Amino acid sequence: MARRRLSVPAMVSSTLKYLVLMAAGVWMLLPFFWMFSASLMTSQEVTRLPPPLLPAIPQWHNYIDVARVVPLVRSYFNSLLVTGLTVAGLLFTSSLCGFAFAKYDFPGRNVLFLLVLASMMIPFFVTLIPVFYIVKQLGWLNNYAGLILPGVVSAYGIFLMRQFILDIPDELIDAARIDGASEFRIYWQIILPLSGPALATLGSFNFISTWNSFLWPLLVVQSRELFTVPLALNSLRTYGMEAQFHHLQMAGTAVSVIPAMIVFIALQRYFVKGIALTGLKG
Amino acid sequence: MSRKLAETISTVMSGLMRPWGRSGLFRRRALWAYLFVSPAVIALLLFTIGPILFTFWVSVHHWNLIEPIPQMPFAGLDNYRYLLTKDSVFQRALRNTFVFTVCGVGINTVLGLLGALLLNTRIKVRVFWRTLFFLPIVTAPLALGMMWATLLNKNYGLINNILTKLSLPPQPFLSSPRQALACIIGIAVYQYVGYYIIIYLAGLQGIPQEYYDAAAVDGANAWQSFWHITLPLLRPVLLFIVVTNTIGALQVFDVVFAATTGLAGETSGGGPAGSTMVVMLHMYNTAFKFFRMGRATAMGVILFVIIFVITLIQLRLLQERR
Repeated sequence: MARRRLSVPAMVSSTLKYLVLMAAGVWMLLPFFWMFSASLMTSQEVTRLPPPLLPAIPQWHNYIDVARVVPLVRSYFNSLLVTGLTVAGLLFTSSLCGFAFAKYDFPGRNVLFLLVLASMMIPFFVTLIPVFYIVKQLGWLNNYAGLILPGVVSAYGIFLMRQFILDIPDELIDAARIDGASEFRIYWQIILPLSGPALATLGSFNFISTWNSFLWPLLVVQSRELFTVPLALNSLRTYGMEAQFHHLQMAGTAVSVIPAMIVFIALQRYFVKGIALTGLKG
Repeated sequence: MSRKLAETISTVMSGLMRPWGRSGLFRRRALWAYLFVSPAVIALLLFTIGPILFTFWVSVHHWNLIEPIPQMPFAGLDNYRYLLTKDSVFQRALRNTFVFTVCGVGINTVLGLLGALLLNTRIKVRVFWRTLFFLPIVTAPLALGMMWATLLNKNYGLINNILTKLSLPPQPFLSSPRQALACIIGIAVYQYVGYYIIIYLAGLQGIPQEYYDAAAVDGANAWQSFWHITLPLLRPVLLFIVVTNTIGALQVFDVVFAATTGLAGETSGGGPAGSTMVVMLHMYNTAFKFFRMGRATAMGVILFVIIFVITLIQLRLLQERR
């Protein structure tokens, strides 16, 4: 294809466009740049006036030092465990329930489905105090159950899975039944593998929100052994408000943001779709 | 998208009346279906439906979380009356939350559209730019709050350093009652602008190119085709963005908590001098620092009602102009 020659106004507008993009890009990256840069500085460097842009010698040991101040390794493990189990549980309950709503006829189905739709309209904060009380009564405060179980259901997840499974042809299910497959086996071996894209959308979305969640763990967890990554960050924040601790704070922050970014970059396509679909919540 | 939801609700409603056969096979499958829905339905009843009813009930009682439930003293509307007439922190929080929501959503509605229009033109490595705008969304609000708090540090922050280099006066930012809320809004704008961009982009890419071609044949300029094609066709997307983000913004907590608690001995956050106190933070303090559950749940109910009303108004306003 022959290259189209640009007229002068077109060239001006094109240059302008990239300039605006570049400025926006600097704005977007600035906090991340500062986070990484400051995380490698010495305590003197972060409090120097004016502050340097880059560390003279990268202090990689900051990343080890920060793990001594707060239980970062342990909270990483906790966060991975809590997030992994929450996402797995959520995908399981949502797909199983969505499957039943999409492909079975049973008395009370529509009443139950209305219940799900109604739950989608309820914001998290309205139920916060009662859920805390229920979790407390069940003896789940300050243990993994309290961190994980309230998160393993999502009305929105059920709705999303139902919509997706509706489009899976009934013939596949009937054929499996003729071959003598049990109903659960139909779910496990036919529905689940065919629901990949919906599961990826729901899963990536939920991974990031659970990984980043702060208020709920703040309420449920008291002991440091159960800290999730945001709680460790918060304790790092209150450990040293003064500027001479900024390098440690930023090292902790840098470590904390990595998993969500990996999931996002790997599953970007599904994640973006998930964002567009959250409109169903409103 | 909300229309799709409405359709689903109406089919479900009409389905409620449907007669219902009962062969043995049918009943066996129904049992399986009950088994399949039960984990999710039980969890929903336990963690959503039950709690919302409980919230309304607690909000008309005095309760400290420890007292046995049957012995909660009935308060009538006392909690609501207290919040709306006596609790100046709550009123301040409500005002701040409104300012935060209106400014944050307003700025991003415009900024996001500009960003999406820019990214929708011929651009090299669009995925790169898109990812860039998206990074803040996947980052924990707490982490972002911490990053910005360091950047905006009055003495050692990079921003003040840049201002000094440009021979502008350094600003107190988060430590000034006059600037703190604006800083929080700025952080939220930074965090969510990519979200708006993505959704606008999806909307823009759904507009057929033929419309623009036809308009160009008729001699329309870029501004005219934007005003008469792009904007009207983006209305559903606009509605969606404004409604969902208003709902989200009214519940702001993490960023305020990260950027304002602990500063200069402020243990309850929302400082300096209450200038960044928001409803969720006040609710958190009331419930889990002072154990006044009745008042805290009443705040939840008030916010819930506000969200409900605002959503209805926005849906009405944005749909009417069609």
